[in-house]
Amino acid sequence: MAEYTKPYDSKLQAGALLLPTFVVLVAFLYYPAVETFRLSFHQTLLLGTKQTFVGVANYVGLLTSEAYRTSVIISFAFAAAVVVGTLLVSLFVSYLLFEVEAWESSYLLVAIWPYALPTAVAATILTFMLHPNLGIVTHYLEALTGLSLDWFTSGPQAFLVVAIVAIWKQLGYNIIFLVAALNNVPKTLTESAQLDGVGRLTMLYRVYVPLISPTLVFLVVMNTIYAFFGTFPLVDLMTSGGPNNATNLLIFKLYRDAFAFNSLGKASAESVILFVIVSVLMYLQLRFSDSHTHYGA
Amino acid sequence: MATETTDRTEAGGNLPGAVSVSDVFDDQLFVHLGLVVSVLLMSMPLVLAVIMSTQTSTEVYQVTNIGPGSAGLSNYETALSEYNLMQYMINSFVMATVIVVGKVALSLLAALALVYYRLPYERAIFMFILLTLLIPVPVRIVPLFQLMADLGWANTLLSITGPYIASATAVFLFRQHFMSIPASLVENARLDGVGPLQFLFKVLIPMSKGMIAGVSVITFIYAWNQYLWPLIVISDQSKQVIQVGIKFLQGASQSGLTQWGLIMAGAVIALLPPLVVLYALHRPLLETFALQQK
Repeated sequence: MAEYTKPYDSKLQAGALLLPTFVVLVAFLYYPAVETFRLSFHQTLLLGTKQTFVGVANYVGLLTSEAYRTSVIISFAFAAAVVVGTLLVSLFVSYLLFEVEAWESSYLLVAIWPYALPTAVAATILTFMLHPNLGIVTHYLEALTGLSLDWFTSGPQAFLVVAIVAIWKQLGYNIIFLVAALNNVPKTLTESAQLDGVGRLTMLYRVYVPLISPTLVFLVVMNTIYAFFGTFPLVDLMTSGGPNNATNLLIFKLYRDAFAFNSLGKASAESVILFVIVSVLMYLQLRFSDSHTHYGA
Repeated sequence: MATETTDRTEAGGNLPGAVSVSDVFDDQLFVHLGLVVSVLLMSMPLVLAVIMSTQTSTEVYQVTNIGPGSAGLSNYETALSEYNLMQYMINSFVMATVIVVGKVALSLLAALALVYYRLPYERAIFMFILLTLLIPVPVRIVPLFQLMADLGWANTLLSITGPYIASATAVFLFRQHFMSIPASLVENARLDGVGPLQFLFKVLIPMSKGMIAGVSVITFIYAWNQYLWPLIVISDQSKQVIQVGIKFLQGASQSGLTQWGLIMAGAVIALLPPLVVLYALHRPLLETFALQQK
């Protein structure tokens, strides 16, 4: 980072400049987060106006509930599918963008458009395209494979369809970062491998992936956060958690417990658990990256 | 970019070292083909949605009919007027604009304090701001909802903008950018006795136009995408945002048949503003993302 001097030293002015940000962060982020933690040890009645301290009862209730444990497992599987799927497809497209010798910027522009795709729009469009009876994709897929597809009634199929929509929406963001990372790899580091006449896929796997691993880790973290927190519209618009709870992700269950069933204490405990899960995953991913990534020159 | 002399697909099956002009050509042809197919696959659902948004219900129900429909733009008109999408679009615009302006303004001020003031506990203050990245809306949704009710903000524009106008990401990006501004410029300002706000408006903002544009695009697209929070906190349908508006549209049916043409028109309408913003400002957006990585 460049050297910079600090021309001002009035603490009062600095405080005034920071105040608006602090007020918003404390009032709308820190305070509700702490309050979530407090509420998670209470049982609430009458829309939260009456609260009774119940200790860890909400947590015990959740962890012993079959439905909640299923939701945890489904959410982990979903996050894994979304993170791996998104990175594989994005890496494939980004590598092609990196290797192409003409019209790279035009290709890049048409490849990143899903970054602007709102999750609810993605859900709406693919719900129709993959509709069991009316979907044109379903129609040709069935004609091609001879299978009879219906994700409205089949749990695994619904899980797959929602994951595909989640991946589709996330491609633009990932491609933006991967193309930038590939273009930042110093040419001197890859020349010798190329002179050895190594094939293209081997190059990607052996040379580029290790060199861009900091970006890959960053994207794993961002995609994990997205898979756990950002996929609510997909479930709400496409499956409502069904069929048979096959797509009942933690974020959707939390919403229903809080705002359909008014179990505010229980829902708060779910928020805390969700926070712990994502924090631990982020910590592990970053720890792993510290010991395994190879930083380029 | 790749060096032409040695690139070869493994599937090519050529002897090592035997590189001809046609090899290189075939190789690039393969890359172009891969790109075209990938982009087509990614865009196909959207193209089909646009086509089917012009079809009448009868045409939509002929599954393999993918020609432009005879409904023209009538689905768009119906969606905008009869199903109130115009109102939802306006609501979304107001919400996104307030969030963009508020977030950029607040974050510029905070970054100014962090970079150009001698502060005690500077690192702790910065961490305090950054740590909020760990607490997205779902982690604080129940108390936040109650807070909105207590403040009397439920069901108002304030509830869908207020909680979003401070941002760790924006402060982080502006801070990074300010730190890369040459010290000599800052020194000049100091020697001239320029006050902090004048310094902000005369020096920092003109030098941060690209960054401000980039942060604005990221924020606009993020704000436009909001779904869960407006769904919960806005109960009055006429005040709802467009993303939740699509949900209302999904119930639209005529004599028992879901009006998919109409719903596709609604989806396209809801996608257009962020898409236009992305393409109008893709350059500063890509530059901003490049800085985020450092």
